[in-house]
Amino acid sequence: MPEATVVLRNPTGLHARPAKIFARAAASFAADVELVKGGKEVNAKSVLSVLTLDCHQGDEIRIRTTGDGADEALARLVELVETGIGEPEES
Amino acid sequence: MSTRLTGRAAAPGAALAPAFIVASRSPVEDELPRERSGPVEEETARLRAALGRAEAQLRELAGTVEEFAGPAEAEIFEAHGEFAADPELFRLAEEAIHADASAERAVVGAFGSFRELLAASESEYLAARAADLDDVRDRVVSILLGRTTVGERPDVRSVIAAHELTPSQTASIPPTLIAGIVTETGSPTSHAAILARALGVPAVVSCSGLLEAIGTGTDVAVDGRTGGVVVAPERSERQAIRGRMESEERRRLELAALRDEPGHTADGHRIELAANIGSIQHVPAALEAGGEGSGLVRTEFMFMDRTTAPTVDEQVKVYAEVLRSFPGDRVVFRTLDIGADKPLPFVDREPEENPALGIRGIRLSLVRPDLFRGQLRALLRALREVAGTDAGRLAIMFPLVSTVAELVRAREILGEVAEEEGVDLTGVEVGVMVEVPSAALAVRRVAAHADFLSIGTNDLLQYLFAADRLVGAVADLAEILDPDVLTLIERIIDAGHANGAWVGVCGEAAGDPTVAAALVGLGIDELSMTRVAIPEVKDVLRRLTRQECTDAVREAIERATDAGEARRVIEGRLGTALQA
Repeated sequence: MPEATVVLRNPTGLHARPAKIFARAAASFAADVELVKGGKEVNAKSVLSVLTLDCHQGDEIRIRTTGDGADEALARLVELVETGIGEPEES
Repeated sequence: MSTRLTGRAAAPGAALAPAFIVASRSPVEDELPRERSGPVEEETARLRAALGRAEAQLRELAGTVEEFAGPAEAEIFEAHGEFAADPELFRLAEEAIHADASAERAVVGAFGSFRELLAASESEYLAARAADLDDVRDRVVSILLGRTTVGERPDVRSVIAAHELTPSQTASIPPTLIAGIVTETGSPTSHAAILARALGVPAVVSCSGLLEAIGTGTDVAVDGRTGGVVVAPERSERQAIRGRMESEERRRLELAALRDEPGHTADGHRIELAANIGSIQHVPAALEAGGEGSGLVRTEFMFMDRTTAPTVDEQVKVYAEVLRSFPGDRVVFRTLDIGADKPLPFVDREPEENPALGIRGIRLSLVRPDLFRGQLRALLRALREVAGTDAGRLAIMFPLVSTVAELVRAREILGEVAEEEGVDLTGVEVGVMVEVPSAALAVRRVAAHADFLSIGTNDLLQYLFAADRLVGAVADLAEILDPDVLTLIERIIDAGHANGAWVGVCGEAAGDPTVAAALVGLGIDELSMTRVAIPEVKDVLRRLTRQECTDAVREAIERATDAGEARRVIEGRLGTALQA
């Protein structure tokens, strides 16, 4: 099954809005998406599960996809992480 | 006998009203049915419907809150809606239903599992989300039990008292029934406090002993400036708080009366006082505050938090709406100002070691002409759409310009797009944000190509002093009232005027009455600021003559050795007007 390791670059990591954007993006694919950090493995489509991994900037995370369109889903999610997951503007 | 309590002042104002106690709403575990009464499918359907309804309620709440408290506050409810829709939460609860639990118990158990994981975290952020989960859980359980989820509401305008107010509780009490807010916990940044400020009612937080001293219906006096709370006040205490209410009300009316008045000094020197707009939702509040147009529309809001760029048509709709909102006034649209620190999924950029000094602002627009042209096209089409109406006047501003060549190139592109669109640019002011020191140094040549200059104080100071404004330890270095910065600003203003360009300031600094007076003294034409600061600045400037401002700022430049001293000199000279 396709998988990739990426480093979180955006300041907030997978918290707050980026966690939401990431989980939403994962949920938009038919493929199952798992997120792995430090031996823990969760459903990436669940923002609550993503939050429990407590991923910070600089953390290495593993994304694993299975099923329909797994390769495409993986590529898109890796790209999302690498482009900073749409961190918000300061007001 | 009265009881005097003290908490932390969290929103200004004063109130004397009966208390209304909002109890913690957590349903008692024993009240919940233990086992499901129907078949698995029926109970699962009930659960799914309740979660769906909770999600819909929370999204609606997010919309309402965004209107009167802004997008940051609305974010809380959006996240709550997301929690209600969480697939793993549903899966856990569904499993429990299969094991014969009632939907109520199942969902409480599922929230409990996540709560444990989050509460155990060392991260303060995650631990705080645990309380959010409780809020959503209570809402879902209330829906399942067929209880109203709007929460109890007082019959009369009351001081809302609670140990702690959840965002849902705060937002579900009609604003007209809230005279003030007092909580035993919380900080001035908690949502109850933010909401109180948005509503213009006093709030006191961290007020220990409150619920022991108070009961629903007990009169309570709240002073949101001192943090004082008096339960069952005696005659003299009632008089004191009434006095405070009267002076607050007088001040509010004084400021409100200025709403439709133009900004000017006591001797009639015109200063345009505009509002910074960070989202379409900010527009009504900016008008309410008496903003004369906008000196800074941060168009980024159209581009953030999405995975594809907004289409030209989408942009036209929003830009035209903003223009229509400010009849007769100038509206300055700043073109897309993002960089590697605010990455967008559809802008493929290499990460930069130092985003503040990288490809951002106009630099990004020039390497991504597709985005830039699209935005300019949308602005010009919006202009065409509102042509012939009394809409606001379109002005376009380029951010982070550091050389004359960049400005010239940006204007060329604007000219090309205007030609393609068949739009006449006469009457469309085109200007530059002066926020890079090189542009400030080259300001004479820059001004020759600009209809206006707008000094972006936040970035200009950060670059001048090499001090990140978000790093507390160096934030004090970069002060606008530094005498040499004032001299630089004067140079920028003079260069603009010598070239027939008007000069403004957009940035937080413009909303500080002392700074505003100093800038007027240096000859500024326009100040664009956060909308909440407009009434106060308008009032202060109307009490001062242009000459008084000039004399004060001159003395500060000559005598002061640092920003703190400059502030003391200016406030010393203009004292009474500034302390209005």
